[in-house]
Amino acid sequence: MMNVAVMKTKFEQSLTEQFNHVSARLPGGAAVGVARTAALGRFSALGLPNRRIEEWKYTDLRNALKEPLAVAVDDDTKVTVADLIVALGPLAHLEGPRIVFVNGGWRRELSNLEGAEGIEVAALGATLTAAQDKIGEALAGTTGPDNDAVLALNTAYMTDGAVVRVGDGIEVGKPLLLVFMRAGSEGRFVATRNVVSIGKGAAATIVEAFIGLPGSTAEGQHNSATEIHVGDNARVTHVKIAADTGKATHLSNWMVGLGAEAVYRGFQLNQGLGLARNQIFATYHGEGAKLDLSGLFLGRGAEHIDTTLVVDHAVPRCESRELYKGVLDGEARGIFQGKVIVRPDAQKTDGKQMAQVLMLSPDAEFDSKPELEIYADDVVCGHGSTAAELDTDLLFYLRARGIPLDTARSMLIESFVGEALDRIEHEGVREVVLDFARGWLSKLGR
Amino acid sequence: MLEIKNLHVKLADEDKAIIKGLTLTVPKGEVHAIMGPNGSGKSTLAYVLAGRADYEVTDGDIIWNGESIIEMEPDERAAKGVFLAFQYPMEIPGVAGLTFLRTATNSVRKKRGQTELTTPEFLKVVKDRASKLNIDFDMLKRPVNVGFSGGEKKRSEILQMAMLEPSLCVLDETDSGLDIDALKVVSDGVNALRSPDRAMLVITHYQRLLNHIVPDKVHVLAEGRIQKTGGKELALELEQSGYAEFQGKAA
Repeated sequence: MMNVAVMKTKFEQSLTEQFNHVSARLPGGAAVGVARTAALGRFSALGLPNRRIEEWKYTDLRNALKEPLAVAVDDDTKVTVADLIVALGPLAHLEGPRIVFVNGGWRRELSNLEGAEGIEVAALGATLTAAQDKIGEALAGTTGPDNDAVLALNTAYMTDGAVVRVGDGIEVGKPLLLVFMRAGSEGRFVATRNVVSIGKGAAATIVEAFIGLPGSTAEGQHNSATEIHVGDNARVTHVKIAADTGKATHLSNWMVGLGAEAVYRGFQLNQGLGLARNQIFATYHGEGAKLDLSGLFLGRGAEHIDTTLVVDHAVPRCESRELYKGVLDGEARGIFQGKVIVRPDAQKTDGKQMAQVLMLSPDAEFDSKPELEIYADDVVCGHGSTAAELDTDLLFYLRARGIPLDTARSMLIESFVGEALDRIEHEGVREVVLDFARGWLSKLGR
Repeated sequence: MLEIKNLHVKLADEDKAIIKGLTLTVPKGEVHAIMGPNGSGKSTLAYVLAGRADYEVTDGDIIWNGESIIEMEPDERAAKGVFLAFQYPMEIPGVAGLTFLRTATNSVRKKRGQTELTTPEFLKVVKDRASKLNIDFDMLKRPVNVGFSGGEKKRSEILQMAMLEPSLCVLDETDSGLDIDALKVVSDGVNALRSPDRAMLVITHYQRLLNHIVPDKVHVLAEGRIQKTGGKELALELEQSGYAEFQGKAA
């Protein structure tokens, strides 16, 4: 094949060029600066991922994201507490401490960390500016893949995010809410990074919410990354609620490291996103750990929602469960890629994966690609994938009992997605996720 | 009053006629039984009354309380008082029985211009009616019909009927899969709903159900139309003679 120099798109060009203008205003000391420059170099060399790269064949970012975007730095879009409450929707009722970022910048006046007992929360930008190069080094040595252009862009441009630490043996009852709000009249490129560390034997629930301020532009791109280290015997519930108005781009990386006997439950809700790519890279560092990844993606119109998981069983006796449910209407497209690697030493690995989609329209599309790479011989691994329409017999049964068509459809869809929602252990968080999903369902066929 | 006039029905996506000129009248306050051999169109009649989309009415009409219902959606018919107890009640994983019952009850109440039941009101009524049918209340917290025995499913159908308070009850092979004890409980449940304001159509292959739910009239359905009508004694005759004399006639 001929080696052709690829022309940069306007987006790639603008993201490469803006670095020189804004780098002085990005937080962090020398080590972070070096990491940023190196990451920008990787992005420039790689460009956005395109369909010729196997992992990205269903989600060609290079083709989808051509328009230039201004990088958000020191954003000062006015947002009041009342605005925040409106934007939070069902999340406004979730009890617990919250830290709020608007267009990638921490807003002290909107945050409320009272009652955050046993959990240390700080803004990443401020922490980096205070020259905590310890975090800087941790960022530089990030656990994600080094050939991922989306993650490279994050490292180059991250402005803020949450630094969360739970000490050994501390059990935090109330969920910690990290809010990332999109606001203003102009679409921006926003990059945020969270660094979470859960001590040995500790327990916590962390919720990330990506929402838009009603009345703001629907455009914009959020590039988010969360690194989470779960200590030995710790238990973590980690939930993402990405619920927007149908145009914004959401690119997300979770890098999860599990200690021995740790239990990590991750859940991701995607709805109202124009284009979403949710990557999770999970690695076991100690034996006997349990990983449970689940999610719900709701798509309509021309929305495109991609979930790509890489679960690396590097050590023996670990368990992984993945259960994803999708509901696709209109011409929406859903993608599920689940790679499970079982290394030669990872005997007694127990892995199960399932992705199920409900197709509400003949023009919707679902692509599913499970990948099991098994190098050990004493393992139990399975995967499955289904795409189905609503059961007309069940619809008739409900309607014969007087239940109107819309309600009957909603009941059946809710029952379909319920199994995934049940994976969220925290009841309050589960109710919030259900409320968001119901809001989406209530607009079906309208 | 239910009036079925010269009804012709075929499968929506096939040309084969199943019901071919069926005429039948069931006044309010009466229970009529429809008996017939397998494949005679009994279940088709039940589904067509409830408005299942798999069937197409090609001729004739179904009049309920003076109003044609054949163009109505299934939920609209339910609101008008039509209720079909299914031969094979379906399992609905993920939908709790109580949620289902409450949504159904309040949907029809709303359409009938009645006030919707509050949660305490609903629970009181459902507990009372479930206990009369020997239904364990905890069973209603489980997903609809999931893991239920044949008898439990049928009792669950009758409970739905009791909750929705229909004026036209169509029971499709309600006796199938029931042992004697369950048959008695279900029949008692149905008999308790007999009233001067209610018409009932009991579809069955066997006579034994009619020992418990005693009909005012018995109709023999074969080859897609009513072949004979008589009193409750006709059911006993059929038990002796079988359906052979009604089959193989030129349509």
